[in-house]
Amino acid sequence: MEFKLEAHRIVSISLGKIYNSRGQRGGIKLHKNLLVSLVLRSARQVYLSDPCPGLYLAGSPVPPPQPGEPAAGPPAGWGEPPPPAARAAWPEPETPPERPAGPDARRAVDAEPAAPGAGDTLQGGEAAATAEAAWRRAEVPRAAAAGGAGDPAGGADVCPEGPRAAHRPCACPPGGEAGPGALSCAPRPAKDERPVPPPGCPRKRGAAAGDGPADCPAPGSSPLKKPRRHPEEPAGGAAAEEEEMETGNVANLISIFGSSFSGLLRKSPAGGREEAEAEESGPEAAEPGQICCDQPVLRDINPWSTAIVAF
Amino acid sequence: MVSLSLWEADIISTVEFNHTGELLATGDKGGRVVIFQREPESKNAPHSQGEYDVYSTFQSHEPEFDYLKSLEIEEKINKIKWLPQQNAAHSLLSTNDKTIKLWKITERDKRPEGYNLKDEEGKLKDLSTVTSLQVPVLKPMDLMVEVSPRRVFANGHTYHINSISVNSDCETYMSADDLRINLWHLAITDRSFNIVDIKPANMEDLTEVITASEFHPHHCNLFVYSSSKGSLRLCDMRAAALCDKHSKLFEEPEDPSNRSFFSEIISSVSDVKFSHSGRYMLTRDYLTVKVWDLNMEARPIETYQVHDYLRSKLCSLYENDCIFDKFECAWNGSDSVIMTGAYNNFFRMFDRNTKRDVTLEASRESSKPRAVLKPRRVCVGGKRRRDDISVDSLDFTKKILHTAWHPAENIIAIAATNNLYIFQDKVNSEMH
Repeated sequence: MEFKLEAHRIVSISLGKIYNSRGQRGGIKLHKNLLVSLVLRSARQVYLSDPCPGLYLAGSPVPPPQPGEPAAGPPAGWGEPPPPAARAAWPEPETPPERPAGPDARRAVDAEPAAPGAGDTLQGGEAAATAEAAWRRAEVPRAAAAGGAGDPAGGADVCPEGPRAAHRPCACPPGGEAGPGALSCAPRPAKDERPVPPPGCPRKRGAAAGDGPADCPAPGSSPLKKPRRHPEEPAGGAAAEEEEMETGNVANLISIFGSSFSGLLRKSPAGGREEAEAEESGPEAAEPGQICCDQPVLRDINPWSTAIVAF
Repeated sequence: MVSLSLWEADIISTVEFNHTGELLATGDKGGRVVIFQREPESKNAPHSQGEYDVYSTFQSHEPEFDYLKSLEIEEKINKIKWLPQQNAAHSLLSTNDKTIKLWKITERDKRPEGYNLKDEEGKLKDLSTVTSLQVPVLKPMDLMVEVSPRRVFANGHTYHINSISVNSDCETYMSADDLRINLWHLAITDRSFNIVDIKPANMEDLTEVITASEFHPHHCNLFVYSSSKGSLRLCDMRAAALCDKHSKLFEEPEDPSNRSFFSEIISSVSDVKFSHSGRYMLTRDYLTVKVWDLNMEARPIETYQVHDYLRSKLCSLYENDCIFDKFECAWNGSDSVIMTGAYNNFFRMFDRNTKRDVTLEASRESSKPRAVLKPRRVCVGGKRRRDDISVDSLDFTKKILHTAWHPAENIIAIAATNNLYIFQDKVNSEMH
């Protein structure tokens, strides 16, 4: 169990570093961020592989995303299934997930959640989609924060509460703590600059929170203009001669690994608070979180309550 | 644009002796280069022989802003490399994250006097007052050191430049960033050749970056580059135009018993240096320095623990970012001793022949002129001697990342944050 807490803590710290690196003078340091992402990966593997009662793990956590590779088979020997209360939150994950490919993934209205045996490999298009989504989400709270304090979206908390609202308060500071440090619950900006929705996400949340928070915009919204800063490869948006310093992979890793770290974006003491929350949420850890990622596996293995919206 | 505080700008970011050891250049975070010159030894004042004094100071790089990418480009000097001296002038290359510059350093100690058409202030004379012609003569003047930028090698790199290395052919040099290495001709600034490109087609596949690179000291076709995964690749430019395929891959298999979350970080090579002989390479990763034989790819021939007591503290070092510190390493002139920095302003030397090592400290208190450096010890529990420092009281903000060794003598330059220490071994001046 302590490995899990340690791993959780390391994951939170890592995500904090990646987040902070974006404001660094001189631009994002590729080497450092790569190393941090490797630590993130290791910690995640440990977290997911450490058998812990009450933790429901639906998929294979192990292989890092390999675009283009076929899905791996279902892993054996996972943690126990979640308590029935949690399970009720999801539609029953019996059917194998659709393997969306390419652009279709982005527009899937209601992809089924992952079957337990779903492979976890990311296909290139999905990876790009999540990366894109992740970066746009990052833009959203910043725009909001820049726009001023307060919670213009009426406190539509991006922290996915869903069925767990009762159990676990969103770790994000109550709305309105605008500013760079509090992006976890960034209010939705009035101008709806939502990213393309990863499949599956909005629908999960739909039951709980009205039109859904900013991080999982309603399905079917049309793809938006990409932020100029981080053009994706296939679009060829980058200037023909000069290339961007591409750090999209960093964001991608965040979106893959980083859903729902409570209190992540509070500056400090992130570690202690998270551990406390992890403890109190033991039985609830099994509840599926609102993951803004189209990976079927991750949807089910996410134990934490808040999505990383800011990323 | 954010600017550095006065204090921060003085942090030394690179140290390099020239090929004779007469000059020592330092670069700092504020983009300045300071060159020290060794005073010639004189019989009159034997105690001041061989000391280094400031020779020249100039602003090499300024902070820039890339408007297209909304990125600030730091002025911090990442590396300085001297060119071999070919005439009375000295030349060096200095680089920040994006731009390399060639500087020429010349001395002027005479000036012409007695112009016919100009007076002493340089104003044109009234021609009617000129009644005779004289030949201007050179009169001695106070030494003036002039530095001028001769070349600017810009726009060659998308990612951050981490190393430059001058080729033994004295005509070309290479610059390496996280993903690419370019070959330049010293006289041509508007183009360079890309000789290594490890950028994956899909950036999401990125698993390693280039961390350092260096030309072989004698073979102008060979160079090595190190990676964040702990491997070294020796490349031969004769083999192909694009040297993505290495000629030799030096890699040590990981010890599974040491596996931790941070295994990958601590195996990342932060510096690689060829020995003067060209037969060996020295690498530094977070906890060790390793000597590799060019003829053996499977593992290093020697491994020295710099501060293994940090192995149990990796998580805290990760939290405070110290685990990302990039320490450099250095050979002495005869390749018998290697040196590298550590924390608490300690630096370590390892004698390859006797297998003895020593820890020394660079601090004002212990470095009065002509004082002998006292060996230090870090105790890791167990018996503690009087002057030992315990691991927990190490100051991790005092780190010695940059060190340099005189090419021929036992003189070392140690950069401790914003202070430069130069230590000389007077007793054993000759290399063993």
